[in-house]
Amino acid sequence: MSDRTANSPLGGYLSAAVPGGWFATRDHKRIGLMFAAWTTGALLLGLMFGILPMVRSLGGMEDDAGGVLRALTYQRLILVFMFLAPAIPAVLGHFLLPLQLGARNLALPVFSLWSLRLYAAGLVLALASVLAGGVSFGWTMPTPLSLTGDGVFWLLAAGLACSGFSWFLVGVNIIVTVHHHRAPGLGFFRMPLLSWSLYLGAYLLVMSGLILAIIVLYLAGARGTGRGLFGPDADPLLWLNYFWFATRPVVFFALVPAAGVVFDVVAGIGRKAVTGYRMVVGSMIALLALSVVTWGVHLSGYGQAPHLTFVFSVLSLLGAVPVALIAYSLLATLHRGAIACSAPTTFTVAFVLHAGIAAVMGLFLASPALGAYLNTTMFATAQIDYVMWGGVLGAFLAGLHFWWPKMTGRPVNHPVGRFGAFLYLIGVNLAFFPQVIQGVGGAPVDVGALEPGPTGLTEIAALGWLFLVSGLIVAIGNLVGSLWVKEAAGDNPWGACTLEWTTASPPPVDNFAVRPAGGDPYGT
Amino acid sequence: MIGLAFMATWLPAAASRQAEGVDGPFQGLYVAAAFAVAFAAGLALAYVMLFRRRDESARGAPAGRPHPLYLGLWTLLAAGLAVYALVAGFPGFLDQTVPPYGAYPVGVTARNDGFDFTYPGGHVADTLHVAVGKPVQLTMTSEDVIHGLSVPAMRVHQAILPGRQATAWFEATLADTFDLRSNIHGGEGAALRTALVSHQPADFDEWLRRVSDIFTGRTLAEAGELLYNREGCKACHTTDGTRLVGPSFKDVYGFEFPTRDGKTVLVDDAYIKESILTPNVSVVAGYEPVMTPYEGKLGDKEIEAITAWLKTLSSKGGAAEEAEPEAEGDPAAGDGQEDK
Ligand code: HEC
Repeated sequence: MSDRTANSPLGGYLSAAVPGGWFATRDHKRIGLMFAAWTTGALLLGLMFGILPMVRSLGGMEDDAGGVLRALTYQRLILVFMFLAPAIPAVLGHFLLPLQLGARNLALPVFSLWSLRLYAAGLVLALASVLAGGVSFGWTMPTPLSLTGDGVFWLLAAGLACSGFSWFLVGVNIIVTVHHHRAPGLGFFRMPLLSWSLYLGAYLLVMSGLILAIIVLYLAGARGTGRGLFGPDADPLLWLNYFWFATRPVVFFALVPAAGVVFDVVAGIGRKAVTGYRMVVGSMIALLALSVVTWGVHLSGYGQAPHLTFVFSVLSLLGAVPVALIAYSLLATLHRGAIACSAPTTFTVAFVLHAGIAAVMGLFLASPALGAYLNTTMFATAQIDYVMWGGVLGAFLAGLHFWWPKMTGRPVNHPVGRFGAFLYLIGVNLAFFPQVIQGVGGAPVDVGALEPGPTGLTEIAALGWLFLVSGLIVAIGNLVGSLWVKEAAGDNPWGACTLEWTTASPPPVDNFAVRPAGGDPYGT
Repeated sequence: MIGLAFMATWLPAAASRQAEGVDGPFQGLYVAAAFAVAFAAGLALAYVMLFRRRDESARGAPAGRPHPLYLGLWTLLAAGLAVYALVAGFPGFLDQTVPPYGAYPVGVTARNDGFDFTYPGGHVADTLHVAVGKPVQLTMTSEDVIHGLSVPAMRVHQAILPGRQATAWFEATLADTFDLRSNIHGGEGAALRTALVSHQPADFDEWLRRVSDIFTGRTLAEAGELLYNREGCKACHTTDGTRLVGPSFKDVYGFEFPTRDGKTVLVDDAYIKESILTPNVSVVAGYEPVMTPYEGKLGDKEIEAITAWLKTLSSKGGAAEEAEPEAEGDPAAGDGQEDK
């Protein structure tokens, strides 16, 4: 089946002549790879904007509060809407979903292509708005502040709307594919957990993507004309409710596929079936459902009626149970596995730690009195950072290292990858735990970096960023460098059982020579 | 574990009665959460090392089912944590939500360039002063964008939205000066950072009496202008000649006006006093007798101040004698002058 000759060009779908080449291709694998390149770009931009305020607070820059505010605004907007939300579905989803389902392609290849184009357009427009004089009103874009002030908002709004529509296309594509393109015999409850989590998260991608795109356009309209739903006469709570209704689920539909990735990685590196498979699916459904009805936890202390705040508290605290069930399954799956000492392993441990911290921080924020105190402090900032840099990025990197041999046909250098993962783990905690401490001390949300931090904490955080960046450089450099390794990875280097490992590495254009039949996902 | 020791110092030293409602659940949750995360991540690390693949062809144990006892315990623990977060936070939440009856009211207006704190007597200051042991209720609104009022030491964090009224309350337990600011980004150039000064009750009364005396540090005319702004005259009288409900104050003093009943009056000190205290006795021609009588609301000294100020607005005001600002904190000046 596979082309195992060393020294060969990369082979498979990578070097085959396919209609559309790379830029008009409708092949899910090529689009997945291009998404990987674009989202890495978004991540780098986010890194850049994240480091800027740090450099300033260490005195390494001219004191330009406006510039820092813009950097903070764009760091969050780009990372949340162009990395956190789309990275796993767009990269791993595009690449792996058809392979895991035994399909030749995603169901709607035109959607694949246009979701990529819209995503790219969104990122370019956001960047253009920075260059044209960025906005500085913060990533939650609260009215009436966002209706006035400098900056070219319509470019940014167009960019965000493009990404919103791109999420929508990705989501629809995933849902339709799961419904119509599963291999014969691959029932819903035989799908690997990554496919499940992508499928479940896709519903929220569709919902949040559309809402986000539309409200941002309305906001730009209100800013331009001084009228409309979010105009100057509107109650500012209106925008905040819409915004958080669209954005609150993001954390969940990013973390759920992240958990899906980690489950498949753990089953693969441990050569073991997932314990409590159905329980995990149920917990994922519960978490996503709760995420749609808990946006108000972000509004405690904003003049939301107290009884609503209380109801939102109760609903979000309910999430502790599904999170615990997922954690249980993950640990039980690790238990008595034959765990490979590999880069994805270290990233998995990092994921457990970071997602765990983010989850318990959620308890603090949802606790009635405590939430009102912490909600407007850097504690809330730190939680999103733990979700993004810690949870989602950790799982994304675990997945990227795990499936890299499948994507490129080249083996990953694991010792180097583990070193990168280790630097990354240290970096995330050094960079973001000081924010937790500052937040508890009362430093303001989102713009806390403008404050002179308590002695020592800023230095520790700066050191953390240094570790984080070096870890990412090592990890990504290691992956890209592997392309020059003249050695084939093999079709199934992990000895894993899900369908993507039954075809060649890299897979041929049509994925499978013979249509595979679905069985138990983890080969029990 | 090191974190546990340091954690106590993360929260600013508590200085209000309701800090307990925040600090209690924080400390409880912190201990429980630190254990939960350390346990889960530690277990993951331990398994990864313990069940390391020793032989390249090794496979993991065959698929197992969740262990009912461990799963039950684990879930119960998580649910317990959530219930604790809810229950422990609840008293503090009720406390934050319901201000005590008879709390000392202070109005707060937030603007991009700072806060205005308005005391019951009408005094407006840009720092917040309170008395130890006396609950203070803040009624807040914003004049431009969303701001906030945060006093970490009091555990008070509240957003202030334009077009809405936000409330918060607290009771200081320590006399000191604390950081007070907005925790919500109000745009470039927003500068909402000031101080909360809590006094011993006697010192607070003394402070309020001193600052409430509008004649301290002001000339008579300046005090008059302040009264014009504060007592609502502004709603009906302009200073630039424009006619509102009432005549403009420009060029009034020293001029003669026809009244409704056909007489002519000269606006002098006595007439001004009469017009303010019992405005409907002689009504200027062309106007309705709608001005509220200020009898009992403004004292002689205040009317004197208004008169002095009206002189400065008139071309016939004479050499409006600029009185020297009165000595700072002259107790006599404050007596009987308490506003409203
Ligand atoms: C509800 C609107 C209203 C308010 C508030 C008000 N006034 Fe008047 N005022 C009038 C009207 C109407 C007249 C003209 C009719 C009259 O003389 O009663 C007038 C007349 C006067 C006059 C006489 C002017 C003249 O040309 O003869 C004086 C002096 C005066 N007001 C002072 C004040 C002062 C000082 C205050 C605040 C302490 C005040 N007013 C508040 C409506 C108001």
